Amino acid sequence: MTDARPGRRLAATATATAALTALAVYGVFFVAPEDADQGIIQKIFYFHVAIAIGSLLAFLVACVYGIRYLRSRDERDDEVSSTAVGIGIGFAILVVITGSIWAKASWGTWWVWTDPRLVTFLIVLLLYAAYFVLRSSAEGERRMRYSAIYSIAAFASVPLSFYSVRVARSFVHPVVFTQNGANMPDSMLVWFAVSQLAVIGVFLTIMQVELLQRRADKALRRIKLRLEAAA
Amino acid sequence: MSAGDPSWPRQMRALLLKDLRLELRTRDTAVAMVLFVVLAMLIFQFAVGSRGTDLTPYAGGILWATLSLTAVLGVGRSWVPERDQRVLDGILSAPVSRLVLLTSKAATIYAYLLAVEIVAVPLMALFFVRGSVAGDLGLIAVTCLLANLGIAVLGSLYACLALFARARELLLPVLFLPSLLPVVIAAAGAVNAVAGGTNDLAEYRGYSLFLAVYAVIFGLVAYATYDHVFDD
Amino acid sequence: MRASGLVKRFGERRAVDRVDVELAAGECLAVLGPNGAGKSTLLRMLATLLRPDQGALAVCGHRLPERAGRARAEIGYLGHDPLVYLDLTARQNLELYADLYGLPDARRRVDDALDRVGLLARSFDPVRTFSRGMAQRLGLARALLHEPRLLLLDEPYAGLDAAGAHLLDAVLADAVRDRGVVIVTHEVERGVALAGRLLVLRAGRAVLSERVGALDGATFRARYEELVA
Repeated sequence: MTDARPGRRLAATATATAALTALAVYGVFFVAPEDADQGIIQKIFYFHVAIAIGSLLAFLVACVYGIRYLRSRDERDDEVSSTAVGIGIGFAILVVITGSIWAKASWGTWWVWTDPRLVTFLIVLLLYAAYFVLRSSAEGERRMRYSAIYSIAAFASVPLSFYSVRVARSFVHPVVFTQNGANMPDSMLVWFAVSQLAVIGVFLTIMQVELLQRRADKALRRIKLRLEAAA
Repeated sequence: MSAGDPSWPRQMRALLLKDLRLELRTRDTAVAMVLFVVLAMLIFQFAVGSRGTDLTPYAGGILWATLSLTAVLGVGRSWVPERDQRVLDGILSAPVSRLVLLTSKAATIYAYLLAVEIVAVPLMALFFVRGSVAGDLGLIAVTCLLANLGIAVLGSLYACLALFARARELLLPVLFLPSLLPVVIAAAGAVNAVAGGTNDLAEYRGYSLFLAVYAVIFGLVAYATYDHVFDD
Repeated sequence: MRASGLVKRFGERRAVDRVDVELAAGECLAVLGPNGAGKSTLLRMLATLLRPDQGALAVCGHRLPERAGRARAEIGYLGHDPLVYLDLTARQNLELYADLYGLPDARRRVDDALDRVGLLARSFDPVRTFSRGMAQRLGLARALLHEPRLLLLDEPYAGLDAAGAHLLDAVLADAVRDRGVVIVTHEVERGVALAGRLLVLRAGRAVLSERVGALDGATFRARYEELVA
């Protein structure tokens, strides 16, 4: 009855993730060149961006599995979708925290309205917090269906939110994205990539842990029901 | 025997007429929304303007802050007749496409928003703008028309998601407002660009374009999901 | 109308558990069972208001859920509520439904329908002023307006006054002749009297499903009590 494969997959993913994370931390803090202006705080930036992208990927997965659920009406698609949202929110909270630390280091205050990424992630947090409020307001099939629909709508809101904040800012300050994209030296780029992979690894690991736990819960409940029926 | 040939224009007309008749008979929603928007504006004035500061640069923002909260009210009311009077099953068991149903509700919300804006925009000018906005009214109207599209589409979809919830008066704002934020940002920006002292048409165009894109994207989302909103 | 293996779950509970139903035009099916047996849920599935989690369903040759739109044009549903807007007049309600069903010659049909249920005199009054019995009669008129081939009634006698019950008897007798009718009721005798087929549900399962001839209500009652005990 019990399938050992998911357990083994989890072990593999967890190990790979742990290795990547260790590598990333080592690389970012000890190998990557230090920024002239901001020093060690700038190192947070690597993780800040990696986690931000990880969060968006999580929400993309949630949206995709939401679509899949609507087509298949298979409970497992809803499981993946809702777990992905949970992880995405966790990451988003980290983005806001690291962004706030970054803001304090760069501009002296714990919050700024001028960083589009920070503001967007605040909106994103609210968007997906609503996901769970919606989820708890319904039950059974309706819960899964509504969650799927909202996971699609919310994901559409993410770029819209980002662009609206950015458009608003661009009329005040011309948009300059420092330290983003190709104008970064290779030595930094490498560690960015490693951090990103580590974050993706964390996502996959947590996802597998969650899914395994839910399946175990369900199997347990089924056995319980069967025992009760037989009694 | 059942020689019926439902055509969507006829169905749409019937649904809109029905909502209009219901509103005319009970006059609940439109009046409440208008009162609410006026009160909300007063709250803003007393909260931030009592020192005599010139709120002209913020007039557009105040307008859209109050309109978005009022929109939540209107959206929350949009399915009330069907729900309270338990007619929903009747409509759903009729051969009405869910798309037509959602679109008719969106159109109803749009109409309510317009009714409120007809009062709110002049009031904004009166209360918060020092100087004349007469020349800008056309541009402000266009902003309203565009923003209303996104709000109506979003609202009619989310209203369905909140329809059966126990705490639906709370659920709907929580659901609706985060997704509405981009509209607030852009619409406020657009109105401020023309009425807020500077007269920046490039800014206005940028925001207006965004509002149009928003409406299109949410229109697509609604189109992709409309069939799944109700149980069928 | 043909349904097989219908299942509907609410959470962990199976409200309807692998039920088969078959009905031809001119037949009347009575669905009996105690409260909570899944009768209303089954009816709502047939009315296309609920999507079955499992099983196949086809109405008048239209498979659900793909051809739901076509199927709905042939279905008339009357639930516990008359499904009419209280704040509209009787006439406005029927006109709305006439438009939704795309009926030609709407005005005449609305008049006929109102006349048939004895509401023509009150046709310009808002439904809010109607008694429960009158509202239910209007609901019946609504369900029959588009001359559906499949009529689904959920406890139609509940809340009807004597005149209404009499009327419903007549309407049903008339309807059964060339339509399929499914009645959900907990009044065993009445169900037996009306129907040519019986389906008894208990906890979501079909414990009896057969064609019956002229059956005596009292005799059947005993058997029924046994089945649902």
